[in-house]
Amino acid sequence: MSGRGENPVAPAIRVTDLTVAYGDKTVLWDIDLEIPRGSMVAVVGPNGAGKTTLIKSIQGLVPRVAGVVSVHGRPYEKQRKEVSYVPQRGSVDWDFPTSVVDTVKMGTYGDLGWIRRPGKKEHEKALGALEKVDMLEFAQRQISQLSGGQQQRVFLARALVQSASVYLLDEPFQGVDATTEKAIVTILKELVAGGKTVLAVHHDLNTVSEYYERIALLNVGLVASGRVDEVFNSENLMKAYGGKTSFFPERKAARRAV
Amino acid sequence: MLEFAVELFSDYTARTILLGAASLGVVSGVVGSYAVLRKQSLVGDVMSHAALPGIVLAFMIVGVKEQLPIFIGAALSAVLAVFVINLVTENSRIKTDSAMGMALSVFFGLGLVLLTYVQRMPEANQAGLDKFLFGQAEALVEKDVLIIGVTGLFALLVVGLFWKEFKLLCFDPDFGGTMGFSMKSLDLLVTAVIVSAIVIGLQTVGVVLMSSMLIAPAVAARQWTGNMGSMVILSALVAAVSGVTGVALSAGFENIPTGPAVIVCVSAIAFFSVLFSPNGFFTLRFKDARSRREIKKDYVLKALHDLGLEHDDPGYAHSERLLALGSEKGFNVRKSLLALQTAGYVESVGEDNWRLTQSGIYEVKKLSPLEKNG
Repeated sequence: MSGRGENPVAPAIRVTDLTVAYGDKTVLWDIDLEIPRGSMVAVVGPNGAGKTTLIKSIQGLVPRVAGVVSVHGRPYEKQRKEVSYVPQRGSVDWDFPTSVVDTVKMGTYGDLGWIRRPGKKEHEKALGALEKVDMLEFAQRQISQLSGGQQQRVFLARALVQSASVYLLDEPFQGVDATTEKAIVTILKELVAGGKTVLAVHHDLNTVSEYYERIALLNVGLVASGRVDEVFNSENLMKAYGGKTSFFPERKAARRAV
Repeated sequence: MLEFAVELFSDYTARTILLGAASLGVVSGVVGSYAVLRKQSLVGDVMSHAALPGIVLAFMIVGVKEQLPIFIGAALSAVLAVFVINLVTENSRIKTDSAMGMALSVFFGLGLVLLTYVQRMPEANQAGLDKFLFGQAEALVEKDVLIIGVTGLFALLVVGLFWKEFKLLCFDPDFGGTMGFSMKSLDLLVTAVIVSAIVIGLQTVGVVLMSSMLIAPAVAARQWTGNMGSMVILSALVAAVSGVTGVALSAGFENIPTGPAVIVCVSAIAFFSVLFSPNGFFTLRFKDARSRREIKKDYVLKALHDLGLEHDDPGYAHSERLLALGSEKGFNVRKSLLALQTAGYVESVGEDNWRLTQSGIYEVKKLSPLEKNG
């Protein structure tokens, strides 16, 4: 079921032999991972498992000790425009003097390239993306005035204007309200239904089976990856989290069956 | 005063100096905004102090007080300081702030040692090198202003061209990196622009106070606006006005060095902004106090109403003492009651008893938070 060999088309993301180290600490060890096109994949693992580093190193934001990343069969560096990134909400300063629509417009900078300024077309695009995340009325608002959920929607909108085919999200549901979480899931599922690929760092084990088709369990090394109904089980969770988990997917599934 | 101003602006030398100060202000105001937005205010401080050894060394090598070599020396040692900071933080456990503190004192200390040494040399033309410490705008001549202008234009051009890239660099460099912009090159470019601002500020403001010239205008401007473009323009304006005022002050009074005069002006504006801007310290305090007064009034109004309902009469009178029961210490119920009386919502019925008026009863109905928001 891994799709390897069966699929003539290259996967959305293929990570081979990826190893990353900060100083003398190995953060990711020899990761081989394939993300099939049109799938919605959760990256799950304990704190310090290297989830954020995986997302960043795929995009070359942290130096790789070893490893190759290809997107749709070509090296990531040649496919930047195919990939859009939603960083952790807390990674930027929300007191920065800018408006919501201008923040979303940053997603168009890649297509514009060096020096060229965004114009009317980019403005319209940004407004369109804001409408999709239901934030149109906040377009002119200062980003410092947004709630956590609204900040996350703005980040998602910024990724949407990139009109990429692969979405990498770092903890898109952290500290957001329930309505926003539902809204984001709906948008992501729409993307996947439209053939896009979504890879998201995810924390809440309770919602994994509900939101995602596939999962990559990580703890420095790759513990398991595949369809949620096949690899999201207590054996793999124990491997990823050590003894520190009290979540048993089978029980939940059994309860649901009853 | 007016006479003095007229004299100042009609005099050719004075005009040259003022033009220099104003141009310096515009450049440092614009460039300083980036130091502030990147939370790297300290880097500007380190770089301007670190320019000193470069200035003195350049003089020692060339032997005369020539601008160009001195500017180049200043720029080189400022950049070297940043390089050293990066080297230290990347290859040791020393954190950035400690590395910056060390780089600043080491470079500036070295500069002072060299300066003392040079001043003991027999040649006469080293005189005035110490003016780079606190600046001496009155020594500005046409040629200096030309250099300030050209360097400043370069800095402004770079900022103008790479406006959107610099915005990415300041707000979300990782995101910018994923779109293929080289954040490392942009970082170098911003550093270059800051260094050029520092270099042209050496003569006017001096190495010691140049960092304030970069940071204070940007901090002041940030208080008044939430838009990056307006912030940069306002910051330029603040710095230019301060530059001109400072130069005029130091020209008007004997023995006031220009640097400190300019910095006093720009700091005064920054202080005022931090205290009194729409989000300033006093403004927020004032707003807080006002809304607390309103809430207390609403609370008393509601309490009178609810107590009255227990008697099936919202207009039933109650004593001030009863109203004060259960409320926080320091809650001056009387003060709220008097304010409500002025508004016509309550009336006193003797012996410290109060009751709602008709308009008071009407007002209570509007108080429900749900209705208020709806």
